Amino acid sequence: MKARLLRLRLPRQHAPATRINWTQLWRLLLPLLVVGGLFLCAIWPWIPGTRGPAVRTVVLYGFSILGEVMNEAVFPAFQAEWQVRTGEQVEFVDAFAGSGTITNQMILGVPAEVAILSLELDALRLVDAGVLAGRTWHGLPHGGVLNRTPFIILVRPGNPRAIRDFADLTRPGVGVVHPDPLTSGGAQWALLAEYHSVRMVGGTDGEALLQLRGVWQNVVAQASSARAVRTQFESGFGDALITYEQEVLSDRWRGRLDGEIVYPESTIFSEHIVVVLDRNIAPEQRDLVDAFVAFLWSETAQRLFVDYGFRSVDEALNTGNPDFGVIPHPFTVADLGGWEQAKAQIVDGIWRDQVLPSIGPGGTP
Amino acid sequence: MSTETQRRGAALPWLLFLTLLPLLLMPLGAIFVFAGRAGPAGLIQALGQPDAQFALRFSLLIAFGTAVVNGILGTFAAYVLSKYRFRGRETLNIIVNLPVAIPTVVVGTSLLLLWGPIGLLGQLLDPMGIQPMFTPVGVLLAHLFVTFPYMLGAVKPVLDELETTYEEAAYTIGANRWQTFRFVILPALRGGLFSGLLLTFAHSLGEFGATVMVSGNLRLRTQTAPLYIFAQFEAGNIETANAVAAVLALTSFVIFILLQRFTQRRERRVS
Repeated sequence: MKARLLRLRLPRQHAPATRINWTQLWRLLLPLLVVGGLFLCAIWPWIPGTRGPAVRTVVLYGFSILGEVMNEAVFPAFQAEWQVRTGEQVEFVDAFAGSGTITNQMILGVPAEVAILSLELDALRLVDAGVLAGRTWHGLPHGGVLNRTPFIILVRPGNPRAIRDFADLTRPGVGVVHPDPLTSGGAQWALLAEYHSVRMVGGTDGEALLQLRGVWQNVVAQASSARAVRTQFESGFGDALITYEQEVLSDRWRGRLDGEIVYPESTIFSEHIVVVLDRNIAPEQRDLVDAFVAFLWSETAQRLFVDYGFRSVDEALNTGNPDFGVIPHPFTVADLGGWEQAKAQIVDGIWRDQVLPSIGPGGTP
Repeated sequence: MSTETQRRGAALPWLLFLTLLPLLLMPLGAIFVFAGRAGPAGLIQALGQPDAQFALRFSLLIAFGTAVVNGILGTFAAYVLSKYRFRGRETLNIIVNLPVAIPTVVVGTSLLLLWGPIGLLGQLLDPMGIQPMFTPVGVLLAHLFVTFPYMLGAVKPVLDELETTYEEAAYTIGANRWQTFRFVILPALRGGLFSGLLLTFAHSLGEFGATVMVSGNLRLRTQTAPLYIFAQFEAGNIETANAVAAVLALTSFVIFILLQRFTQRRERRVS
């Protein structure tokens, strides 16, 4: 074996005049070239000298439906403004997932500087875990509420099941696709809408419970976030999806809405909360992060939110979007005594303790 | 390689092809169909996005790193487990193979609970400013854990089969331990090493469950290609997701073909 190896090598080293076996050499080199080339290609941006000028970064975690408006509109607008103001380039490092998911990630220590949560409940969890020093978002404009959107029902084109309100989702045979309340903020908002909308139009607590149970008996599929559940609905699951109005409007504008919006008689307006994670912000980052957070409530940013289907905290801006539907009896979580009370009484007290045990696996009673 | 034992005829190959069609070939084809649905311009645009580029490069680098570290570590483990007799060898042998059987999400969680800022070791490291989780180091740690058994599985059986008489012969003519390893054991291992490296690389390229836990899933910082694909799929950008998936699949395909031919020729020459 060794002799063979020697025979193969010696002529190449000591007698270059002899014929080189090109095919063999090529076959040996090709894999090395490909692997080497791949490696070079992979490492290219990190080779010194190939990088552009140094940029400052902001690390932002956001709940699922914010991805587009932030990446396509708000970040570029702030980058342009900051460049004009200071001459510095800003890069946004971001992650978008279910509100509960990103909250858990922050509790486990991801280096988020700013986060936008789907509901205050997740912000309260951050306080409990010691990530936030207190209810710091109350010190931000509008008590930390960035924007709102009502919860609506999305049905298949032509509304073949004749769904007009949440009550119609309790009819036998209607398949409901719902985000998972364990990880999705949107799911918790939806729970409140399914329950309290009955009481808003004069129903009793008992009737509200019946409606919530009826909807949950018809849940045929769940996913971890509002985004994921919409993808599930788009791939053909179920007859109705309870989701943010914004989701559906942005789909419609992009020409890929395959369904119709049904506005309930009464529904909840979600309120999305901005939190600033002071412990993750280095002193030299402070000015940039503060400027960005302030920018979120500027008219420029709020108008962008309206363009992307969110309802602004500034009511005057909301007339700028003719696609916003009318809801006769809207409510917010404040009408339920705030999130802590709503969580204890409705999400835990009614949904978890009374509704879930009464529906068996597969959503059948 | 003797040709007499190879059978001719098309019946069984056809049966195999038909069985694999719905199980393997059509799902693979679907990636490319969906990737190309927006046309070549759409494909190029999808791949030109900075975050897609980053995700692909980052995945490749992590895969290279994982293959190199586990290539060395796995060979070392295989050598010790195969050539040395010591107390607890059997148990260790089982334990090092466990990562295959543990759900990768569990791996990610346990790494977080160990190295994370509130983890057992992480709590001690955090004051020193060392924080491996949610950085490329964390991703590498997860991939090293998850892919460890592949190198071992490819190399150890070859070592077990290797007659000790060759080694003894080497020692008798005065070779030291390193020379024996370098000139006697390593050449015999070549095929095993290649397939081990290959498996490790490919698994690392496609790893999802553990990565999603330990990376923080940060765009342009720790988002690997599979995480990018999942994020895009969740956002409903199926074409973008499939464009990146197609690149991953093609990369693996090319590497597999090249290295397979490389190792086959080596073996043929040796025999």
